[in-house]
Amino acid sequence: MILLEPHNTIIRTTVLEKIVKPSALDVQFVDFDGVRFHLSTPDSKTTLLLSMHIRCWNELVQYGALDVLKREYGSLLAATAEPDYNVSLEIDLNQAPPEGEQRDDFVRKLSLLKTNAVAAPFERAFKTQKQLEANPPPEGSQSELMAIHYRDEEAIYIQAASDRVTVFFSTVFREETDRIFGKVFLQEFVDARRLSALQNAPQVLYTNREPPLELRGVPGLTLSDDIGYVTFVLFPRHFTKPDVAEATITHIQLFRDYLHYHIKCSKAYMHSRMRARVSEFQKVLNRAKTEVATTERKTISGRTMQSR
Amino acid sequence: MSLLAPIISDNGTGFSKIGFAGNSDPSFVFPTAIATRGGPSTASSRAGPPIPSKPGSLASKRGVEDLDFFIGDEAIANQKTPGYGVHYPIRHGMIDNWDHMERYWEQTIFKYLRAEPEDHYFLLTEPPLNPPENREQTAEIFFESFNIKGLYIAVQAVLALAASWSSNKVTDRSLTGTVVDSGDGVTHVIPCAEGYVIGSAIKHIPIAGRDISQFVLNLMRERGEMAVVPPEDHLKVASKVKENYSYVCQDIVKEFRKYDADPYNMFQRYTGEHTVTGRTYEVDVGYERFLAPEIFFNPEIYSSDFLTPLPEIVDGVIQQSPIDVRRGLYKNIVLSGGSTMFTHFGQRLKRDLKQIVDRRIEASEMSSGSHMRSTGVEVDVISHKRQRYAVWFGGSLLASLPEFYSYCHTKAQYEEVGPSICRRYQIFGSVN
Amino acid sequence: MSNVLKNYLAAVRATLTAALTLQDFSSQVVERHNFPEVEVRGSKEVLLNALTISRNENERVFIEPSINSIRLSIKIKQADEIERILCHKFTRFMMGRAESFVVLRRKPIPGYDISFLITNTHSETMLKHKVVDFIIQFMEDVDKEISEMKLSLNARARTVAESYLSMFGS
Repeated sequence: MILLEPHNTIIRTTVLEKIVKPSALDVQFVDFDGVRFHLSTPDSKTTLLLSMHIRCWNELVQYGALDVLKREYGSLLAATAEPDYNVSLEIDLNQAPPEGEQRDDFVRKLSLLKTNAVAAPFERAFKTQKQLEANPPPEGSQSELMAIHYRDEEAIYIQAASDRVTVFFSTVFREETDRIFGKVFLQEFVDARRLSALQNAPQVLYTNREPPLELRGVPGLTLSDDIGYVTFVLFPRHFTKPDVAEATITHIQLFRDYLHYHIKCSKAYMHSRMRARVSEFQKVLNRAKTEVATTERKTISGRTMQSR
Repeated sequence: MSLLAPIISDNGTGFSKIGFAGNSDPSFVFPTAIATRGGPSTASSRAGPPIPSKPGSLASKRGVEDLDFFIGDEAIANQKTPGYGVHYPIRHGMIDNWDHMERYWEQTIFKYLRAEPEDHYFLLTEPPLNPPENREQTAEIFFESFNIKGLYIAVQAVLALAASWSSNKVTDRSLTGTVVDSGDGVTHVIPCAEGYVIGSAIKHIPIAGRDISQFVLNLMRERGEMAVVPPEDHLKVASKVKENYSYVCQDIVKEFRKYDADPYNMFQRYTGEHTVTGRTYEVDVGYERFLAPEIFFNPEIYSSDFLTPLPEIVDGVIQQSPIDVRRGLYKNIVLSGGSTMFTHFGQRLKRDLKQIVDRRIEASEMSSGSHMRSTGVEVDVISHKRQRYAVWFGGSLLASLPEFYSYCHTKAQYEEVGPSICRRYQIFGSVN
Repeated sequence: MSNVLKNYLAAVRATLTAALTLQDFSSQVVERHNFPEVEVRGSKEVLLNALTISRNENERVFIEPSINSIRLSIKIKQADEIERILCHKFTRFMMGRAESFVVLRRKPIPGYDISFLITNTHSETMLKHKVVDFIIQFMEDVDKEISEMKLSLNARARTVAESYLSMFGS
């Protein structure tokens, strides 16, 4: 598995199971970036309530998350969210589409709840870019910089310009090894685009410690060696067509998780290598050990001697 | 961010139970299997490096071959895919292949749980008598590869005891008791006192779920029921029959008579479907309904080399434990694992055990010349609703307590002390 | 293997073989104690002159002989940050398993990456030249392993970045 999947596996499997066989349910689980879910049947066995808590909800609402969710889920969206959670969906299992492709699509949509919520600021930025392109702004002015503090120490910043949309990730590595591995990975992200096959990919920039020019003056930025900034420059070809735009949004959201997943995988791989190497050294050292003579010693009457 | 629920991962020989604390059931239950590129597990799989040792070969150029694998149900599904081989990284409850296990965890966390391990505490389980080196290696993987926030490794038996707190029969939440843990591969009887396992008294019984299925299959073959079942489905049908129709009787002879007197009522029919042709078939389910679990109580009907009935083993285990905890052990016998799910299993165990205990008391009263009267020993077997995933549920229960975090080893502590920190684990509810 | 490295290893091999002349020696300070003198440093007269074999400023071997034990510490080449962290990880991983490497010290002495402690018991139960072989092989392989790990990390990062970015291409 190189790429992470965008949908939540627990939502998918549980909902599919419950459509076939409704029963009482009450589970809590999570998704990346501290998102919490609660899937329950509060009233009847056939009505599932799926609630989500996401750290940056207020910011997302400000950038139009509710509209996006309304568009995606329509009547499923509950009027008031469950206490402790930000948003709830009510799913009537009796009205689930019939088995086959339709149902798969329906369940898939449910399992993309987090992705859709976070998509809002991206969609907004894409729209802004269209407007700016149609009537160019006066020289030197900048459009709104949208900040999404999706983790405690890390944030995504999105800014639209007349010919591009720029996405900034601030990344923090809590550990020395991660920081160094992360640097290697990010450097490759920057370099990989030089490959001719990847000319269409967004441009990636990486700076350590110093925030990029656009982010200067944003409150709440800390200066430290552990912080890095990754910039993705998205061009209109990445979001003009609706389906491409959707793929881009889904994909770019998972950037941090993707990076950290692979850092952890590399460490796991290093462990395997080291295990193999250490056992090899072990063999070399064992060759040095002299064989201890283990011949059985017997007394004259034929009894075995034993040392205790 | 401690709002995020701790992750409970109970990796058993056969199946892994994985989920979040606070839930009543694991989110995922799938085989502890991993399908990797390269041949199926051979004897030397342990020694073989997972990477080409020669530098510069084409394979190591791409560098991500180690990500090409499947776990759980997908691993089983890919069993027949050319190029993949299925491995079982856990043997007899202990981790055998660390490379595979590390990758197994990696995918569990990122693909199934979708959790960022840096934000979570983890509760893992270990079998009784797990060598401390294994704990250290586990801690090394979880803290160094995954950067988790904190780790607690609990002994399965202790978690099973904690799970029994959910039963309304249990009034005091003690961690003293005897755990009868019967899974797919092996059955253990483990005495625990105040959260500590009494290692010297543990007994293993080579009869477990797999054997019961095999026994059911033998019985049904003898009666000729299996003729209509396609051979590849035999074991599956047998285990279905075991799960759905079996129960423990109080007296075999009476039960046989009951069946002979009224076969129409007692015999059941099992309907299955041929996996390839889709044709349905029916088989009669008869004596195996009560004979299957009977192999715990009369092992001679199944095996010829293991002949001690389960109640006697339990009694032996308790008698080997220190004398001051024996009462507590008799009073709180807890069942755990799928193979203890048979109806009336607990009652039968309790009755048989009580007989053994009473007989012993009587004998000692006699030999003391009937001067002293014993007050008797209370024997109780506790079965509860969460028995099947008792270990996981116990973990979920403990990890949702607010004080759980103070019992964990945190990342900072690990970095201070190193892997050896995991040699010591704090028992729940202990003072320091 | 480059010629330079060969000379370096040959020097280590010769010195180590010469230094591995150990005998049983009880403590002169505490009755009925028998400890590696090179660690205890209790009596001066049983400690021999320590010496350093140095290939360059980043790679050197420090050998401290004494009457009943010798301590050998290695500083491994670390060209950059990545090699430094990989080297640290590897030595730490190995020292965590010191139990099974009888001659490995659990902690390196300050200024070095990994230390070995060979006592007279070791030289009695193990073949001397084979122990020397082990040390030399370790020195040879550890450099190779670290640079291989670094290469594979880079290759990996490249593949990972490419597969992420190629998703945008469509």
